Amino acid sequence: MRIKEHPILSVPSEKTYLTFYFEGRVVYATSEDTIASALIANGFDVFGFTEHKHPRGFFCAIGKCSACLVEVDGIPNVRACITPVREGMQVKMQVGRGKPKW
Amino acid sequence: MVRHVKALVVGSGPAGLTGAIAIAESVGDGKDVVIIDEGIEPGGQLPKQTHKFFGHEGFYASVRGFEIGNLLVKKVKSLGVEIIQQATVTGIYEDVITVYDRVNNIVNEYLADYLLIATGATEKFLAFKNNTLPGVYGAGAVQTLMNQYKVLPGQSFLIVGAGNIGLIVAYQLVQAGAEVKAIVEASSRVGGYAVHANKVKRLGIPILLRHTILEAIGKDKVRGAVVAEIDERFKPIPGTEKEFVVDAICLAVGLQPNVELVAQTGAKLVYIPELGGYVPLRDENMRTTVHNVFVAGDLAGIEEATTAMIEGYIAGYNIAQELTGKSFKEKIEKMKKELEEFRRGPFSKKVRDGLKKMGIVFPEGGYMEEQQIDKGPLGKLRAVIECPQAIPCNPCETSCPTGAINVGGNINGIPQIDYTKCIGCGVCVMKCPGLAIFMIQEKDEYSLVGIPYELLPIPSNGTKVKLLDREGKDVADGEVDHVALNNKGKTHIVFLKVPKGFEDVVRSFRILAKSEEFICRCEEITKEDIERVIDMGITDYEELRRVLRIGMGPCGGKTCRTLTLQILSEKTGRPVSEIELGAYRPPTMPTPFEAVVKSVLTENSEVSENIPGGVKDE
Repeated sequence: MRIKEHPILSVPSEKTYLTFYFEGRVVYATSEDTIASALIANGFDVFGFTEHKHPRGFFCAIGKCSACLVEVDGIPNVRACITPVREGMQVKMQVGRGKPKW
Repeated sequence: MVRHVKALVVGSGPAGLTGAIAIAESVGDGKDVVIIDEGIEPGGQLPKQTHKFFGHEGFYASVRGFEIGNLLVKKVKSLGVEIIQQATVTGIYEDVITVYDRVNNIVNEYLADYLLIATGATEKFLAFKNNTLPGVYGAGAVQTLMNQYKVLPGQSFLIVGAGNIGLIVAYQLVQAGAEVKAIVEASSRVGGYAVHANKVKRLGIPILLRHTILEAIGKDKVRGAVVAEIDERFKPIPGTEKEFVVDAICLAVGLQPNVELVAQTGAKLVYIPELGGYVPLRDENMRTTVHNVFVAGDLAGIEEATTAMIEGYIAGYNIAQELTGKSFKEKIEKMKKELEEFRRGPFSKKVRDGLKKMGIVFPEGGYMEEQQIDKGPLGKLRAVIECPQAIPCNPCETSCPTGAINVGGNINGIPQIDYTKCIGCGVCVMKCPGLAIFMIQEKDEYSLVGIPYELLPIPSNGTKVKLLDREGKDVADGEVDHVALNNKGKTHIVFLKVPKGFEDVVRSFRILAKSEEFICRCEEITKEDIERVIDMGITDYEELRRVLRIGMGPCGGKTCRTLTLQILSEKTGRPVSEIELGAYRPPTMPTPFEAVVKSVLTENSEVSENIPGGVKDE
């Protein structure tokens, strides 16, 4: 859920939106978003699964814990929390360690 | 190609930034300094801190964290220091430092004469059932998301840990519009500052001491949490389990230093639990056991941002000293004195004990501990300070235009107020980072209590409110007298009219939500709406209908007429049978015009020719 008003922070009403894809579905993001913030804002809490099929979201949001690994344009192990969004990027859930496509 | 710099700073948080400032200023050229940081924007964890910092003006006390970050970054850039973001130092080898630049997807190589490592800390994890379920977040992670990206990862939160981070995040969640069901804390007392705890308590958020989380409930996302009371050995007591319906759980159970890089330099690590676990062994100049490697901030021992900034300066001036061959002893000594003053208080005990194990001794005590009992002369508009612990903070003292507030010599002192000097201006209320100063004035019929307020909406004069005590419990009804707006600092003062005798009780308020007891479903008219109009003197059903449109929706009053008559009866004392019933007008249900027209057409076919735009043209 996006915060629309805040007593301390300014929340710009005019935002530049861009779109990318998560598991083939269109996600609307602001140009300031990380992959993680855009997914959460759009209600996607599950970013992927562990080897043992446990759902996985983000945990630390600062690039330390590696809970939020996703596959971006075919490249696995991208940390969703510290990767800015890019127009048209294809983000996929990562299962386990992720398998690079050579 | 290997890039060679004189000083390489790892981390653009408060310690790294002040370190870079000290080096660049002293060397006279920022070109010799490069900062590398893996975040998207510089400032480390400062950009997500929306609260005002404690401390003194020299280190931005009473300025909000994200604003401090902006100021430091601006300073660093103005000195010509290059900050490389989205780049991670991946290895420190004997002959080279490797940096992975994520933007350009390339590993660059660096050499540095001096290294200042300020890599900060990581949030600790906690073992409980289902703890990897999406919706279980680090408290700092939630802060990042809501304050930097303006996204709330849930609506209803449980917070684990009542240290400063847990307390601050709870408060900030409410500011962002979320609900905090409870804060659970395993120990028998709140670990954070009392002023932070008081802020959340008076909002009505319970702090459950001697409680822990047992389980996160949910299949693919948190739907709830089970907490339980624990005994002296921190074991859950069977039968005390409670379930909270929440969609997010924040873990605020402490931080651990990010020591990987400093370890790779060959610097010796020591295990000191008081400092957060393994930390680099270092001297009072922040130098590690490797001659040209310095550390500062949370990496050197978990503490807070002000001391991180001071340590950054100390490390920076020492590096500058060696780079230039000049002496910056005076500046270094000044900063060491600052650290000494900050660390005298009771909340620095852990850090003092930890540093003692490294052979670095910091003195304690020497601050004003006495609590002021005098609440000032009755009838005078004045400030009352509720800051019960010795914490390193003094904006009340330095902001008071008449010099009425005094924390004593040391910054940890508990403030005292001289009521012969207080003019009731409220500046200290707006400046206090702990929101721990209130305004009071006894009047003839009622009293005024001024509350520091940083939430939305800002109430207008005359707004009816529930008056709450220090625990957030309803104690009386009141209303907003006026609001002293502070558009720059964003801490406003809401002055409440409270009943006599409640001056020392009321410390918060709740704006009464519009009644949701609907009487007329079609037009969404509540019981309160009807009662308000009756109070205006309108006691006739037909008249009520015209004013409120009650009974004029699609149902034609089938649902609401009896209830409205009952309310009229209750308010006027007349039996329902004596109240004018009002007309029952047709149609009794919405009827399409087409249907009406059709009926006419089938009765009399001649009419069809006269219908404009009708069946036949001439």
